[in-house]
Amino acid sequence: MTQQATAAALDDVRVLDLAGEIGQYCTKLLADLGADVIKIEPPGGDPVRALPPFYHDEQDPQKSLYWLNLNTNKRSITLDLDKPEGRVLFERLVATADIVVETGDPGYLDGLGLGYEGLSAIKPDIILTSITGFGQTGPHAHYKAPDIVGVAMGGVMWLAGDPADPPNLAPLKQGFTSSSIMGAAGTMMALYHRDVSGEGQHVDVSMQESLSMAQETAMQTWDMLEALRTRNGHRGIIPIDIPGIGPYECNDGWVYGFVGAPGGATWGALRDWMAEEGMAENLTEEPYTEFIDNLNLRFLTTFAEEPAEIPKKMQMLSHIHDVLTKFVAGKGRWEMYEGAQGRRLLFGIVSTPEDLANSPQLKFRNWLTPVEHPELGETLEYPGTPYRLSETPWAIRSRPPLVGEHNREIFGDELGVTEDEWNALEASGAV
Amino acid sequence: MSAKLPLEGLKVADFSWFGAGPICAEHLATYGATVVRIESETKIDALRTVAPFAKDKTGYNVSGYFNNYNAGKLSIALNLNTDEGQKIAHKLIEWADVFLTNITPRVIERWKLTYDDIVKINPEIIGAYQPMQGYDGPHRDFLGFGAVLTPITGYNHLSGFPERPPFGLGTNYPDYVINPGHTLIAILAALRHKRRTGKGQFVECVQLESSAAPLAPAIFDYTANGRVQTRSGNGLPYAAPHNAFKCQPASDGGRPMDERWVAIACFTDEEWSAFVEAIGSPEWTGDAKFATLEARKENETELDENVSAWTADKNAFEVMHDLQKQGVPAGVVQSARELLDIDEHIKERGFYVYLDHPEAGRTAYDGPPFRLSKTPGKLRSPAPMLGEHTEYVTKEILGLKDEEIADLMVAGALQ
Repeated sequence: MTQQATAAALDDVRVLDLAGEIGQYCTKLLADLGADVIKIEPPGGDPVRALPPFYHDEQDPQKSLYWLNLNTNKRSITLDLDKPEGRVLFERLVATADIVVETGDPGYLDGLGLGYEGLSAIKPDIILTSITGFGQTGPHAHYKAPDIVGVAMGGVMWLAGDPADPPNLAPLKQGFTSSSIMGAAGTMMALYHRDVSGEGQHVDVSMQESLSMAQETAMQTWDMLEALRTRNGHRGIIPIDIPGIGPYECNDGWVYGFVGAPGGATWGALRDWMAEEGMAENLTEEPYTEFIDNLNLRFLTTFAEEPAEIPKKMQMLSHIHDVLTKFVAGKGRWEMYEGAQGRRLLFGIVSTPEDLANSPQLKFRNWLTPVEHPELGETLEYPGTPYRLSETPWAIRSRPPLVGEHNREIFGDELGVTEDEWNALEASGAV
Repeated sequence: MSAKLPLEGLKVADFSWFGAGPICAEHLATYGATVVRIESETKIDALRTVAPFAKDKTGYNVSGYFNNYNAGKLSIALNLNTDEGQKIAHKLIEWADVFLTNITPRVIERWKLTYDDIVKINPEIIGAYQPMQGYDGPHRDFLGFGAVLTPITGYNHLSGFPERPPFGLGTNYPDYVINPGHTLIAILAALRHKRRTGKGQFVECVQLESSAAPLAPAIFDYTANGRVQTRSGNGLPYAAPHNAFKCQPASDGGRPMDERWVAIACFTDEEWSAFVEAIGSPEWTGDAKFATLEARKENETELDENVSAWTADKNAFEVMHDLQKQGVPAGVVQSARELLDIDEHIKERGFYVYLDHPEAGRTAYDGPPFRLSKTPGKLRSPAPMLGEHTEYVTKEILGLKDEEIADLMVAGALQ
């Protein structure tokens, strides 16, 4: 798959990045496609630099792995937009920019004269992307929205968890991630339109809306049938326990089965595998032989047709589940995953972060991406690309910036701020 | 407002199925592209056969699961296992600017629809592929779809409470926003490059890579520190409280569907003080055990019990509104019912779109996932019925004559 790279898709695009945590994956996506993303940090640095985990657990603005991941390829300047001197410099930057990404409370930038109207007066074809919990309009527009509020209000939390527990929060800020992904897509859409028509515009992204499509069929199930999907623990969408479907514990972790799904081998193939290893017990005898031969997704749809048969069927399913549980318990998770896949049986490994880092597939594809950090005296392995483009590849071209690392380069060399002006700005606290 | 949508005139041959591909193509249609969905009665998109179905209706055209992801598209029925069907596929590839598929590499090779195959037909085409694990590598041909992809990509291990098995998020989570969203970004990048240079390219959005990317902080913690993070419930190390709390039920049936929960989170001292005030400063809030974030983290179980005791007899929506008024982050753990029927904010923004479908009737669709002020996307038509536009596509788009179409039907190509 190595093909000659010729350009980056956004190599002529400048982005001013005012984004807080909810929008930093958006500007990372743009930066990794080649945009010149100028991160505007408040003097003292972006508060997201304080979030764990840290490199070697050393709490330091330059060592937050969480922050580093979100800020590859960006340049950093410090600028206080609440100070008039800061705003003047920002306006000079806007004149050179294509896109501004911000995540402030709706109306905050308008109050500074830097909302869409103000920005487009400076740069008529500017694209302003606003990413917030609930979007720019509506009664909840000003609600405070950390990730958990978006995941709750977007319907995704309702569907996750065991009925005995509180609904489960999706891990690692999926509300923020979804908002950023849709923020980047909306920005790229607006950019395409600008390229064609010369017209800029305001892109409005709501965390609640961008995440809510991940409710799967819950919305339509309520709309069409007035039936409510709820959190159902390990059973997910299937209301009864079916052997081979769901999590099974190995001797060193877990796998997750979906045996009998279209395209994969049948339960019979799993029984044969267990028999080969002397672990099938009585599943190779009647009545189990015939029962297992008929154990497929169609089985589920006819399960309740003969109510008198249900207790017997449940008992047999439970026994098959026990035999399988013992079989899986004797294996390692990679052994079970690769062994099952080799037989076209649908099992997936329940990957830990370690499994992802060491995955033979991701290793083969060089997914982890080394980035040199001279200040740490080390090369860190960054999690890699979400997509590969043969002509305009994703790339990490520079490590995330130090706080204000590019102040002189951008203000001095590029905007032509003089030494005297610079000293006055420093004295005012605007940079 | 601009008269033209951004992608008006763009032609997309959507050879995808299930979730990640069709959703991506739907967004392209929403912003103006002409999207032809290539389907077959002989290899039906399984989502057409999966519930929910419009009330008291059956058949391939009434699944809410399928319909929600395919608004605004044209559908042609085409059997790619026939020579004549292959020829029509080639004509569609010749016509298209973008080719999209998430069908497994083995089948794509059998149908001769790899990127190397399609550039021979259309040298400027953008070929977007969403294989499960990639077009190369030792696990290239591993089976999988959402239910198994979610655990493989790391979500199950990291989701939920530590004492529970890793059952995941109750859905095929990365299928719906993460993978279609990443693919959409990649296609838009490729379109921009094509506009600048005239060149198409090979776009590979591997579902394993795309799904794992948002789990970066945990993967990075391993590669840099050797630490293996695991699921840890609803908490965050730098907020307390940070959980969902049970409120007065919506009705007293005692089933999970009758429950109501509210998420509450305090990150700063200001938020905590505002929370204490909002709940009337009960005695326990004065205890040193809860005075600082560090202390609240240490005593979080007790903290959560106290907060639960306060929420237990309250209406979740009132808790949210009251706390938000005081500057405390709070949100109802909404069900789909609440999103569709109760959420005043969603209603005012008009997020859900109701479309009239000839067989399924009037049903709700997810609206555009982002809003462009001058070129707002629009779901222009309901999901197509299987093969609804076979005649239109063959005749009007591909310019075939009536007798050619008749021959294709006789050859079994249009099914």
